[in-house]
Amino acid sequence: MTTTLNINGASISVDVDPQTPLLWVLRDTLGLTGSKYSCGIGMCGSCRVLLDQRVVSACRLRTADAAGHAILTIEGLSASAANHPLLQAWESLQVPQCGYCQSGQIITAYALLQVHPHPTDQQIDEAMSGVLCRCGSYPRIKAAIQQAVSSASRQEPVK
Amino acid sequence: MKRFRPDRRRFLKLSAASLGSGLTLGICWSGLNAAATNATEDFQPNAWLSIDKQGLATLYVAESEMGQGVYTALPMLIAEELEADWRLIRVEHASLDPSYGFQGTGGSRSVRKAWKILREAGAIARHLLISAAAQQWGVERDTCFARMSRVIHRTSGRSLSYAELVERASQLPLPDSVALKQADEYTLIGNPLPRMDLAGKIDGSAVFGIDVRRPGQLYASIRQSPVFGGRVKSFNAQAVKELPGVVDCFALEEGVVVVARSTWQAFQAREALRIDWSEGTQPGLDNAQVLKQLSTALESSAGKTILQRGDPSTEPEPQGRRIERDYSLPFQAHMTPEPMNCTVQIEGQQVRIWAPTQSPTSARSSAIEALRSLGGDWALASDDALQQRIEINTTLLGGGFGRRILQDYVTQGVKIAARFKQPVQLVWPRDEDLQHDYYHPFTLHKMSGVLDEQGLPRVWRHRIAGLKADHYGADELPYDIPQVKVELNRLDTPVPIGPWRSVTHHYHAFAIEHFFDELARAGGQDPLQLRLKLLTQPRLRQVLEIAAESAGWDHPDKHRQLGCAVHSGFGSHVAEIVELRASDRQLRVAKVTCVVDCGQVINPDTLKAQMEGSIVFGLSAALKSPITLDRGRVTQSNFHDYPILRFHETPDIEVIIVPSTQDPGGAGEPGVPPLAPALANALLAAQGTAGGGLPVVW
Repeated sequence: MTTTLNINGASISVDVDPQTPLLWVLRDTLGLTGSKYSCGIGMCGSCRVLLDQRVVSACRLRTADAAGHAILTIEGLSASAANHPLLQAWESLQVPQCGYCQSGQIITAYALLQVHPHPTDQQIDEAMSGVLCRCGSYPRIKAAIQQAVSSASRQEPVK
Repeated sequence: MKRFRPDRRRFLKLSAASLGSGLTLGICWSGLNAAATNATEDFQPNAWLSIDKQGLATLYVAESEMGQGVYTALPMLIAEELEADWRLIRVEHASLDPSYGFQGTGGSRSVRKAWKILREAGAIARHLLISAAAQQWGVERDTCFARMSRVIHRTSGRSLSYAELVERASQLPLPDSVALKQADEYTLIGNPLPRMDLAGKIDGSAVFGIDVRRPGQLYASIRQSPVFGGRVKSFNAQAVKELPGVVDCFALEEGVVVVARSTWQAFQAREALRIDWSEGTQPGLDNAQVLKQLSTALESSAGKTILQRGDPSTEPEPQGRRIERDYSLPFQAHMTPEPMNCTVQIEGQQVRIWAPTQSPTSARSSAIEALRSLGGDWALASDDALQQRIEINTTLLGGGFGRRILQDYVTQGVKIAARFKQPVQLVWPRDEDLQHDYYHPFTLHKMSGVLDEQGLPRVWRHRIAGLKADHYGADELPYDIPQVKVELNRLDTPVPIGPWRSVTHHYHAFAIEHFFDELARAGGQDPLQLRLKLLTQPRLRQVLEIAAESAGWDHPDKHRQLGCAVHSGFGSHVAEIVELRASDRQLRVAKVTCVVDCGQVINPDTLKAQMEGSIVFGLSAALKSPITLDRGRVTQSNFHDYPILRFHETPDIEVIIVPSTQDPGGAGEPGVPPLAPALANALLAAQGTAGGGLPVVW
């Protein structure tokens, strides 16, 4: 059965069981392997993508339910916003270690800053607590979000 | 990706033994003869580097990158002596080749193994490039020097780029010896260079094992016996084969495999399996039985003496107040974020494997064993012949922590792919991964000590019983205590046991460092001051002094409680101080101060990241759920019942690096062992008791 998806700004038709979680359509059907499988139950955050600006676990989202929404994966984010202060902060603070969870971390932090351009510590905690990192890059993730916020503020035009 | 071509090169053949022991200049490298070089090739003086005619240097890394930064630190060693412009460097994963000895990454050994060899590899290349320039100019070579991928003639100021020297350098014989730079001459070593592997880890293009995609690839999954040692008796093959996308369903000895058109279809089919198992030799095994096995061993056997000071047969045991404690430390899982997986393509006699493995050498041995089990031609071929037919591609690793030193997923991958013409990717779902780990073992520690009238420990006794436990980390006691005896009971078990970040040091350091605080407090001593008084290892004393100063140990504050611990392991020395604070009447881990002396630091930013990561890893083990056994099975199945530390639970972490020019120590593991005892010691300070081991609960 064919489902039409809007992924990273492109309209793509896929012939899969509509019950298939979006994660496997991304990874196995479309070769977008930046979103990672780790728990399969929506608890680790490694597979997170944006669905109309909202963070969702792609391992728990049926393809049928993804249709009609704008899906943004790490590949789309890094291609369309390569100079985003968040990605620059991730690079300058050398956040990733093994790197496996980082697409979920970056997508989640990006969504946070879309909603809260100047998040409080508590808002950062609440947003980021959903993405696990076994290597322990948490302190650098926090620093990178804070750096992205302050560098974005500096870039805003002076009124 | 450009492949390394061993057959076209003239490499020094290093045995695994010589790799581990450090080389003597002028002996091992002199086996090379560069005179036969084909002038059309790149300059390739040894297995570790090549420079092309555009001056671009390719540096080969023979260790697995699992986040610890070997793709950057090891090239830094070569480039330092090569005097290479860092912008003209690219890094490639070395193929599996005898030139590199045993290829296995673990024990925080990468930099220690490479320290001398890689600097020599770079220095030899630099020597030849300088000689080439001197020859071209007709000047003495000692009037020339190299810098930033150029050779410069000191007196005239003339210079030639490495690109211009590659051809001539390739014709020159190798030097008998080379001089290595002194620490004050380093331009790369000791600097926080950005990691070479991060761009793809930020933009999503990094390829881990699970991301390998080959044309026509099939996807497999497996359900192994829930009980250790159980075997498949029967299963519903026909029903599962009829499910959507399923290509095949068959049994291996240890479980049932499904192969499908997508990972999801394979996972769904695996869920539909109904398997009748034979339940192994100990189907009733549970935590209570393990604990009983360990306590019985401690009651019935002295164990092997692994450390002794003083002679109890001639010196009477000092009298005084005796303190006794028992600590039990549970099984732990690795929980690598990328579950076990392996992709294999067998075409005729050629076997291609893509694996996120910590040891491609072991992966190949496992593959050979798996191929032999297939019978036919595979069983008849010699080991050498099979080695030639197997190509191992080491991908990036989504976490390792010791788990990927074991190669069970490679063995399975080969056995499965042998049934198909197409490439097959085996992926273990999370529950499979967590329930078929090689676990950090359960250990029991019986501690006793005697305090004299001044409250100083005079006797130290540490009796250990552990499943496949080893002595590393307990065979030294860094304190000046006159009578010491440490005994180890290593017990067998059907539970798979394997190396886990910091291995034996984790459990021994907990027992030693936590009991030290119990003794100190029982004797009315400040545990940190007593450590400073009794520590016999000066580097360990220094890291503790710096940590105490930084954490404000001497500035009591009723809102916070501090606990400290020290440990030497993997060639490094670490002190950690954990700060507990009360908020909303709940104690929480507010801060960890970590001071590390690991000798000469290669990349301080990576070292700092490793210490941060070790602390988070240690906190997960100390605070969260352990692995438990019930009815011969692992009880836990995913992150809901085997949680790890989350973002909002992470304390502030301060890492201080002690400058040193001593030979490098390890970085990946030595930050783990002090964490749990420092945490338990802080709790001891807060409430006078800290339970009897891990997890630490309050």
